[in-house]
Amino acid sequence: MIKKEYNNILDFLEDSSFKNWAEQNNATDINYWEYWIANNPEKQELVTKAKDLALGLSFNKDFVSSDKVNLEWTKFETKIKNKKTVSKRKLRYLKPLSIAASIALLITFGFYFFTQNTKIIHKTSYGEILNIKLLDGSNVTLNSNSSLSYYKNESRKVWLKGEAFFQVDKKLATNAKFWVLTNDLSVEVYGTSFNVNSNKEKTAVFLQEGSVWLDFKNGGDKKMVPGNYISYSSVKSEILESKNITNAILQTSWKDGTLLFENLSLEKAMSIIEQTYGYAIVFKDLESKNTIITGAVPNTNLDICIKAIEKSVDVKIIKKENKLIISKK
Amino acid sequence: MNKLTDKFIWKSLKDGDLKAFSVLFETYYPLLHNYGLKISKNIAVTEDSLQDFFIYIYEKRENLSDLETIAPYLFTSYRRFLLNIMKKNAKLKYVDFSEETITDIEFTKEELMTNQEAESFRNKNLSKLLNKLPARQKEAVYLKYYTGLKAREIAEIMNINYQSVVNTLHKAIKNLKEEVSILKLFK
Repeated sequence: MIKKEYNNILDFLEDSSFKNWAEQNNATDINYWEYWIANNPEKQELVTKAKDLALGLSFNKDFVSSDKVNLEWTKFETKIKNKKTVSKRKLRYLKPLSIAASIALLITFGFYFFTQNTKIIHKTSYGEILNIKLLDGSNVTLNSNSSLSYYKNESRKVWLKGEAFFQVDKKLATNAKFWVLTNDLSVEVYGTSFNVNSNKEKTAVFLQEGSVWLDFKNGGDKKMVPGNYISYSSVKSEILESKNITNAILQTSWKDGTLLFENLSLEKAMSIIEQTYGYAIVFKDLESKNTIITGAVPNTNLDICIKAIEKSVDVKIIKKENKLIISKK
Repeated sequence: MNKLTDKFIWKSLKDGDLKAFSVLFETYYPLLHNYGLKISKNIAVTEDSLQDFFIYIYEKRENLSDLETIAPYLFTSYRRFLLNIMKKNAKLKYVDFSEETITDIEFTKEELMTNQEAESFRNKNLSKLLNKLPARQKEAVYLKYYTGLKAREIAEIMNINYQSVVNTLHKAIKNLKEEVSILKLFK
């Protein structure tokens, strides 16, 4: 981000490398700016001014806690909900009218759907990763053995089976909400990047950036903040796991072609391999099941993946028909 | 908060989306709470007025105009809202009310780090010196370095242009620097 012309104070302030130099943060920027200042002595005064402003004052910011904010929000919510019920009563006589209006609307929309709706389906087989750009500019990386579908006229509402990483385009986030629907829940998106993984038992959502709401099949909902990981099962009708993940890369590395394992039992690691490559896993002994594995393996090449696992832990893996048979070396 | 996200949240809010409203609430409540305290210097007044203010925004959401950035709108309308309440309170108590003196922001000793990034500001009496600055300069300093707003947003809140924000900030920093160095002479 190095500009060529610096004629006024704003030119400096808007340059991130300048801020880095002022804060002595980045060696390259420091070197650059020291050289630049030595060669532009006539700008010395401007540089000093801009540096003063960039550094400014630092405060111990004394903002209210998030608990307090939640409390105040609950108060607020109760107040407006009470107000709503009052106004509903007043408007009761409008009901028949609104029913007629919604029927008319339904008919119009139904017609629209019949004429316009083409369903688009993206599918991946085992060991395949697909990058998809949706019509609205959002990017989706679809993991192996997964499918993503949507209607052409409603591309901001997508159905997911399997796993995908979403980067919802913020530029177009102004038009309509973005929805991801799975068997267990729907994710209501407010411009953001996140990972959704759904299988037979559950759907797990990891939010990397931005803000989303989960609407569960049982009617409950939950707001997520960055770093949150929540898995939910519609069969059990409950949240299975809700935690904070500081190391985001563990959740999202698959989209760049690697599966990362960090202190995982081989049993758990192999179940991820099973999901990725579609091979059934057979353990010959208990000891190899419980071996702990840490490391990275590719998710689009099974042979290299097997070799990597064999190298990092003491096991032998034999590929036979649709199975991976694992035994102690 | 991202400007484009701002625009989206504002639009959802206008459509009556309560979830969008909670995002807005969580983002701006702490900032406005602090701002309100700085102006009213009274916790009860601040918190009551904030509840009423958010309800006011929610109820008239359909009539709100489209916004690219939310912060300037919320800060200015909350300030107006709060001052009206304070004016009413003052009338009840027959206290003389002048906006100039009452909107004067004050910083506490605890809020100012003694270990400042800029070496020339490392001074125990920094809060005193800062509080001595003209009200406009203090407000600019507060909005920029405490609340973390962008210069363009501050320009809207203070109703001056972008360049004037930078000038005002610079005057504030320069004044502070001089005060600190004078103080050092007498050590």
